[in-house]
Amino acid sequence: MSELFAPKRTGVARWLPWALGGAVILVAVLFPFLVDRPRFWLPNIGVRTIWLGIIAMSLVFLNRYVGLLSLAQVTVAGVSAYGVGVMMVTFEQPFVLAALVGLVAGTLAGFLIALIAARTKAIYFLMITLAIGQVFYSWASQAIEVTNARRGLAPVLKPDFGFLNLNDITSFYYFVLVIGILCYVLCRYAASSTFGLTLQGVRDSPDRMRALGYNVNAYRIAATTFAAFIASVGGIVLVLDRAQVDPDVVSLGSTLDVLVVAVIGGVGSLGGVFAGALVLTLLSNFAQNLTDRYMTLTGLVFIIVLLFAPAGLAGIGKQVKGLIARRRTPRHDAPQQDPSADQSAEHAITEGKQQ
Amino acid sequence: MMLNKKGLAAAVAAGASVLLLATGCTAGGGEGGGDVIKIGVMATSEGNLAFGMGEAKAAIEAAMAPYGGTADGGEVAGKTLEIIYAGTDGTTASAQTQVKKLVENDGVDIVFGPVSGDEGETVVQYALTVPEVTFVNGSASPVGMTLEGAENFFRFHGDSAMWMGGLGTYAVEEKGYDSVYLLAEDYSFPYDNAGGFFSEFCAAGGSISGASWVPVGTTDYATIISQIPADTDAVYVGLGGADAASFLSQAVTNGVAKPLIGGSIAVDTTALSGDANIASAAIGTITGGPVPGAGYDNPVWAEFVDAYLAAPSAEFPSPSIFSILYYNSFESLLLGLEAVDGDLSDGHAAFREALGSLEWDSPTGPISMDENRQAIVDNFLIEVAEGEDGSLVQQNISEATGVKQGTTVYDRFESCDDL
Repeated sequence: MSELFAPKRTGVARWLPWALGGAVILVAVLFPFLVDRPRFWLPNIGVRTIWLGIIAMSLVFLNRYVGLLSLAQVTVAGVSAYGVGVMMVTFEQPFVLAALVGLVAGTLAGFLIALIAARTKAIYFLMITLAIGQVFYSWASQAIEVTNARRGLAPVLKPDFGFLNLNDITSFYYFVLVIGILCYVLCRYAASSTFGLTLQGVRDSPDRMRALGYNVNAYRIAATTFAAFIASVGGIVLVLDRAQVDPDVVSLGSTLDVLVVAVIGGVGSLGGVFAGALVLTLLSNFAQNLTDRYMTLTGLVFIIVLLFAPAGLAGIGKQVKGLIARRRTPRHDAPQQDPSADQSAEHAITEGKQQ
Repeated sequence: MMLNKKGLAAAVAAGASVLLLATGCTAGGGEGGGDVIKIGVMATSEGNLAFGMGEAKAAIEAAMAPYGGTADGGEVAGKTLEIIYAGTDGTTASAQTQVKKLVENDGVDIVFGPVSGDEGETVVQYALTVPEVTFVNGSASPVGMTLEGAENFFRFHGDSAMWMGGLGTYAVEEKGYDSVYLLAEDYSFPYDNAGGFFSEFCAAGGSISGASWVPVGTTDYATIISQIPADTDAVYVGLGGADAASFLSQAVTNGVAKPLIGGSIAVDTTALSGDANIASAAIGTITGGPVPGAGYDNPVWAEFVDAYLAAPSAEFPSPSIFSILYYNSFESLLLGLEAVDGDLSDGHAAFREALGSLEWDSPTGPISMDENRQAIVDNFLIEVAEGEDGSLVQQNISEATGVKQGTTVYDRFESCDDL
C-alpha cells in the first residue's frame, strides 16, 4: 500500500501543509533579521541545519520511496567534501571546478555502493552501508597522500563570484538556503515522477514489479545514485561551512548524527528532516548551558521522540489528529489506520518497507 | 479540546523559555569589555579523554587560588575574570562547534584550550579567521599549530616533536645505540613524536634499521617483531594505551631482547599497570615528555603538586599531563594579563606583546617564547625502573633545557634520509 491510493485530502488537510511550508520558508528567509547575533546564528545554526538536513533528506528519500535505510549517506557526502578539498587545497583549483568534481565523486561513490548493497534489504542493507562507511573512514584516516590523514585538508576557502561573495555570512546563508530548497523540490519532483512511482512499486512489491518486467535492482541502484547526488550537494555545503575536511566528517559519530536527525525529524518526511536538524544543532550548541551531561540530554530527547512520536516531529500533526479523532469517535468504530502512515524509525530498520 | 489547547500553549511557552534560557539570548558579548574579561575554556568532557575537563578545571583552580579566585573566575589585574567552559568530545566537529559558540555567541575575549591534537589544528584554522580574539593553547601538541602564521595564537608548552627533545642525543651518546627499529602508530601525533626523536638521533650519527607504521588499535605484533633485524640496537615504540600494553606483553612472550625507546605516551600508567609480566620488557625503556618523572627536584614543581592536590576538581593522586600543560598555559595567560593590567584595548596589542615576550619559572622549568609565539621549554628524559614495591615507576634521568621548536611538520618516514 502506498500514498498512490491514499484518499484525497480535503479542507484543512489540503492547505495546512502548504501554509506550514510557506511559514517555514518565510521564517528561514527572515532568519537573518530575527536573530540578535547573525554572525553566530547564521553559520552555526542556520547553515549547519541546512546541510545536515540535506544529507538526512537523502537518507529519508531512500527510506520513504525505496524502502532502503542507508547509513552510507554521510560517507557519500564525505567523498564529495573530500573531492572539493583535494581539488581546492591540493591542486589549488577554483571552487566551481572543485564542486563539480565533488558532485561527480560523491554520486559515483553512491553508485558503486549501490552496486554492492542493492541486492540486500532491510537490516542487511543497513549493515553493508555502515560497513562501507567505516571502511572509508579508516581509509581517510590513513591515506596521507590523498586525504592528509587525521590532519585533513584545510583551508577550503569560500569563493567570491563577484556578483555573490560567499564570505559574507548573509549571502552565504541565502545561497545555502536556496540550495536546500532546490534539493527539497528536486526530491519531491523525483518522487512524483514516473521514476518515483516505479520506485514506490519496487518498494511495495518487488516481486510483482519484476513480473511486470521491471528491473528491480536497476531501479534500486538508480534511486541510491540519485540520493547520493543529493547527499553530495550536502557535502559541498558542509565543506564550505567547516572550511576543512577531515576523517571526523565521515566518522561513526557523524553517521549517527544524520540518523538521529532523520529519526527526530521523521524518517518518512522529506521536510521534517530540517526540523530534526534544527533540534540537533540547537542541542549541540546549547545543551551544555543546561547541564554538564549534554550528551545524555541529547540521548533523552532522542528517546522521548522515539517513545512519544515514533514518526518524528513531522508526524506529530498526524498523531494529534488521530488522538482527536479517537476522542470524538466511540472506540468500536475507530478509523482503520492507513498502513502507509507507518513511517516509524523502528519499522524502517526492521522491515525496510520491503515485503 | 480546551484542555488540549491550553496544554499545547503551555508546552510551547515552556519550550520557548528553555530555548531562550539555553541560547543565552541575554548574553551581551565581550566586545565592550570594560572591567570584565571573558575567557572561554575548551576541554574534553566526553569520549576517551573525558577527564580532560576535570583536569583543566583543577589546573585553573590551582592557578586562580593565589588570587582568591575559583574555576569560575575571580579578580586578576584589577579586572573581573569570567570563565566559561565548553566541553568537547575530542573531535574536530565538536571543537569547531564549541569554539565558534564561545567566540560568536558568548563573546569571549580569550579562548583557552583545546586538549587534543586534532582539535588544536581545527582551532588554529578558526583563529586565523577571528584576529580580534586571543587564543592560548591548552594541551594540543601538533607541530604545525604555531607554524600557521596565526598572530593571535600562543602555545606555552612544547609540541610533540619537542617532547622527544634531548632523547636522540642521549640514546646515541649515553646508551650507545647506533641502529634503531621504528614501530609507531600511523597518525599525526606519532609522526611528530617519532620525527622529533629520529631527527635528533640521525643527526647524532644514528640510523633507522627498519620502520613499521601500524593502524591504531593493532593488537597483534608477532609479524612485526619477527621483522626486527638482529643487528638492531633498540626498538622505538611509538604506540599508546592498549596498543603499547599489547606490544610490551608480546615482546616478553616473543623474547624480544632489545632495549626499548618509548614515544611520549608509550609508557604511561595504562601500559605500565596493565600486566605484571611486561616488567622485563618495560624496565630500562627510555622516553621523553613534558611531565617530569619521580625524583625531579624543583621547589616550584612541589608547590604546583600541592596546589593541584588542593584543587576541588583534582581527581588523580598526582597531576596528569593535561593538568600540567593547562596550568602552565593558564598561569602564562594570567601573567600576561597582569603585565598589562588587564588592558585588552587596541585589539589586544599590549596583551599579545606581553604574552609573546613572557618569561617565567614554571613548575616544569623556565618558559620563554620564540618568534612564532611558541614556548621554549625544558623537556624531561625518563627511564622506566622497578620501584621498591616491585611496581614500575618512571624515573627522571635528566632535563634537556631550552628545547626549541623546529620548522618541520613530520610525515611518515622510513629512513634518516626522509627526515
